Amino acid sequence: MVKVNHVPMGLIETPFHARLEPLSRAKSWTGWAGFISPLVLDTVEFEYFAIRNQTTLFDISPMHKYRVTGPDAAAVMNRLVTRDVTKIADGRVGYVMWCDEEGMLIDDGTLFRFSATDFRLCCQEPMLTWLLDTAWGFDAQVLDESDAIAGLSLQGPTSWSLLQDAGFAAAQNMKPFDWREVEPDIWISRTGFTGDLGYELWVPKAKALDLWDRLWAAGDHWGVRAIGFEALNLCRIEAGFVAAGVDFQPVHAVMRLHRGRTPIELGFGKMVHFDKGHFNGRRALLQHREAGARYTLAKIDIAGFKPANGALIYHRKKKEVGFVTSGVWSPTTKRNIALAELKAPYGIEIKDDLWAEIYVNEEGRWDKRLVPVTLQDKPFFINQRARATPPHPF
Amino acid sequence: MTDNRFDAVVIGAGHNGLTAAATLAQQGKSVCVLERADRIGGMSRSADLGGATLPEMAHLLYNLNPGVAKSLGLKIASRALPTVALCPAQQHVVIQGKTAQYANGDAHPDAAAYAALYQRLKTFAALLGQLAEGAPPALAGGMLNAKTLQEMMALGKLGLGLKRLGKVEMREFLRVILSNAYDLILDELSDGPLAGALAADAVRGAYAGPRSPGTVFSLMYRLGNGGDVTLPIGGMGAVAAAFADAATKQGVQIRTDVDIASLVIANDRVQGVLLSDGTTIHADAVLSSAGAMQTMQIAGIAHFDVEATRRMRHLRNKGTTAKVNLVLRNLPAFTGLTREQTAGRLLVAPSAVAVERAFNPAKYGGISKSPLIEAVIPTLTDTTLAPDGTHILSAIVSYVPHGLEGGWTDAARADLLDRVVQTLEAYAPGIGELITHSQVLSPADIETMTGAPGGHWHHAEMGIDQILTVRPANLMARYAFGVGGLYLCGASAHPGGDVMGAAGRNAAMQVIKDGVLR
Ligand SMILES: Cc1cc2nc3c(=O)[nH]c(=O)nc-3n(C[C@H](O)[C@H](O)[C@H](O)COP(=O)(O)OP(=O)(O)OC[C@H]3O[C@@H](n4cnc5c(N)ncnc54)[C@H](O)[C@@H]3O)c2cc1C
Repeated sequence: MVKVNHVPMGLIETPFHARLEPLSRAKSWTGWAGFISPLVLDTVEFEYFAIRNQTTLFDISPMHKYRVTGPDAAAVMNRLVTRDVTKIADGRVGYVMWCDEEGMLIDDGTLFRFSATDFRLCCQEPMLTWLLDTAWGFDAQVLDESDAIAGLSLQGPTSWSLLQDAGFAAAQNMKPFDWREVEPDIWISRTGFTGDLGYELWVPKAKALDLWDRLWAAGDHWGVRAIGFEALNLCRIEAGFVAAGVDFQPVHAVMRLHRGRTPIELGFGKMVHFDKGHFNGRRALLQHREAGARYTLAKIDIAGFKPANGALIYHRKKKEVGFVTSGVWSPTTKRNIALAELKAPYGIEIKDDLWAEIYVNEEGRWDKRLVPVTLQDKPFFINQRARATPPHPF
Repeated sequence: MTDNRFDAVVIGAGHNGLTAAATLAQQGKSVCVLERADRIGGMSRSADLGGATLPEMAHLLYNLNPGVAKSLGLKIASRALPTVALCPAQQHVVIQGKTAQYANGDAHPDAAAYAALYQRLKTFAALLGQLAEGAPPALAGGMLNAKTLQEMMALGKLGLGLKRLGKVEMREFLRVILSNAYDLILDELSDGPLAGALAADAVRGAYAGPRSPGTVFSLMYRLGNGGDVTLPIGGMGAVAAAFADAATKQGVQIRTDVDIASLVIANDRVQGVLLSDGTTIHADAVLSSAGAMQTMQIAGIAHFDVEATRRMRHLRNKGTTAKVNLVLRNLPAFTGLTREQTAGRLLVAPSAVAVERAFNPAKYGGISKSPLIEAVIPTLTDTTLAPDGTHILSAIVSYVPHGLEGGWTDAARADLLDRVVQTLEAYAPGIGELITHSQVLSPADIETMTGAPGGHWHHAEMGIDQILTVRPANLMARYAFGVGGLYLCGASAHPGGDVMGAAGRNAAMQVIKDGVLR
């Protein structure tokens, strides 16, 4: 083997690339945190319906993963995030958000609790220096595990059946947000980004391909498909999940003033635990709470079927009051759905008479339409199978 | 236990802590001062050595805030001293306010230029001095906010003052305010002891050479209260005692030898102080004159935002001043100086270039072979300080690094003493023979003795990135320090160090203004 002494140039292959590459018919790749990641492997439609009707594998290895350990690990995590991590039990996962001193969201992610002295944080944005700064002065170590740990997301109604056939019956009684070591070095969490039944599997990089092969071999019967980002993105919007850099701007990554948003403005006020003691941005968030939200991130239903990504939103067809941050046609609910940022009081006190401006191209000719917008308070896709424990076999 | 319940607790019985305590007490608040050392005074205390009372660290007054002195009714006797800029060629220059002449009475060729420069700096400094009288402006509340308007008024006064200077002078003020002392001085004066004296005054206590930006500001800072340099009668310890008296007269309790374990904080509000013997002292406000990071650590890092902690970690506070105190069996003879001149503030800073050069080794953990010295023989003015016939010489040595290469060993201290004595020998031959006792305090020793981060004169460098609205750091410049009821009141807060009292007074007034106390 040729020894490479230089820093690799361009995008890097993930531990699963050797399996993904031959499956790619679309040859549609993107860069994700420096790694090659599929946008689409076959067709978006095919992959989307596999998530909702069968089961799918999505390579989440590019996620940043950090291990925080030591006697003060819980204190460090509690200083970092807005919710109270002492309420997350060992062997549980929590969705978490963390803010800068002005209460503006830095990123969101999932926090895996091994024990009070051992946590793993998974997130989109690089966070090592921030975690090191957060842990400064505490008896805790921060380790960047991004490269060491490979992750696979197994999502869809038959995912439990596949797991069982692959020999992971131990996962049967796992509740949503449980996580455990089902075999030496193989950790499974009942988590995902689809709002459906699903799991995430975590292994050391060297064991990545073995895991893939094992799942793939058990999956034929359950309709397993490898998928790319685009199909997943449809599902996450249906589930009402927010994406960093899309529905909110991670405040460390922006240069313009006033691009930051508070968790409260993004609809996660319940995840801000003011009563747990100090955490980063707490004082600023209290002031924000006092002053009231400046914006709201709303789930909206848009008339018609033309996806409205980026559309401006008007009140009384006149006053510009916001824009769509993520908009798609939802194949399962057969609705034109979106997440949209609205400037207060729109979307909070004023919910009626809202319109989206949509551009349509009819055989080479652009036209503009104003279509009615309806606010939703629930995720667009909710299915009981996502939560059933033990999960339904198929 | 009523004994351990106060409206406010002050950490540190340096003059700023004592000022804060006295100011609060004057407003009818009950206050307790907790000092770690066995004595009050901090950097303004006296020490006993060989039967003499010497100013252990600070030795001269020039920035004592008149408002503080007046409102506390401080009784401090002090005598103005001339400055003597020593010249290796024995052409010493005696400076008194705006006049400069040779020690033998001859006119100095730069006398007129010096007078004009001094006068201008003093006028500018007086303008800046106004800013020391309160918290620096935040201007965060928007224009319709009463608080902001008040701040605008204060700034307006500065603006008005600037306007009154006239167009030319205003332009000059804005031109020089952020620039370096070296250029400013040498634009007007030829280089030599007179220029060296100004350059040395611009950088004493700083981790900066006269060519560093911001040193014009630090020169003006020194002149903010008129520029007169005075020697306190009874020693610097008498000054500290006067502050303490003012406090105790107002009912302030001062406790020394106290070891603070942590603050008691509940619901993001200070509740008091926990001592390491387990005692809790309850209070609604805690004002700390310990360093900014040290205060954060006492309170617990967990109570602060990550950004605030980061700023405190990165505060620049490399101490650069050492103190050498000598007890002499006889009065040393300084060649070419009268007894009266010998009693002055003696500066070894032969030129502005020499001052800049002396800084160089300090950047790399070394000490210049020709250290800068500000020496005074207080016993010539106040004979009560030492047994009959004996004298003390108090020397501030600049550009002595906190992080000396090889560490601060006894040998390193002896070497520093040797360099200082050798340097003085050039002006007062035989002085080394007269030494009966000596005390050498490195910046590291000063840190150990007072807790001042880096042993720094101002607890945090007075650079343009750490003054006014960003002192000690952005978002923490108005004394309030994160946790409700916690305030900074020492040199690391606006306006900064020196024996001045403004930081302590301003912090106390801010506590009152914020309505923290019932
Ligand atoms: C060598 C030297 C010479 C100087 N010469 C002059 C001069 O001639 N003229 C001049 O105007 N200025 C001079 N200065 C600067 C001046 O002395 C200081 O800026 C000023 O005294 C600072 O006052 P303070 O009250 O803010 O802090 P300090 O005087 O440093 O007092 C702080 C006090 O807090 C106490 N403390 C710290 N931590 C704790 C804790 N955890 N618990 C309890 N107590 C604590 C310390 O023991 C100390 O008593 C000199 C400084 C140095 C180092």
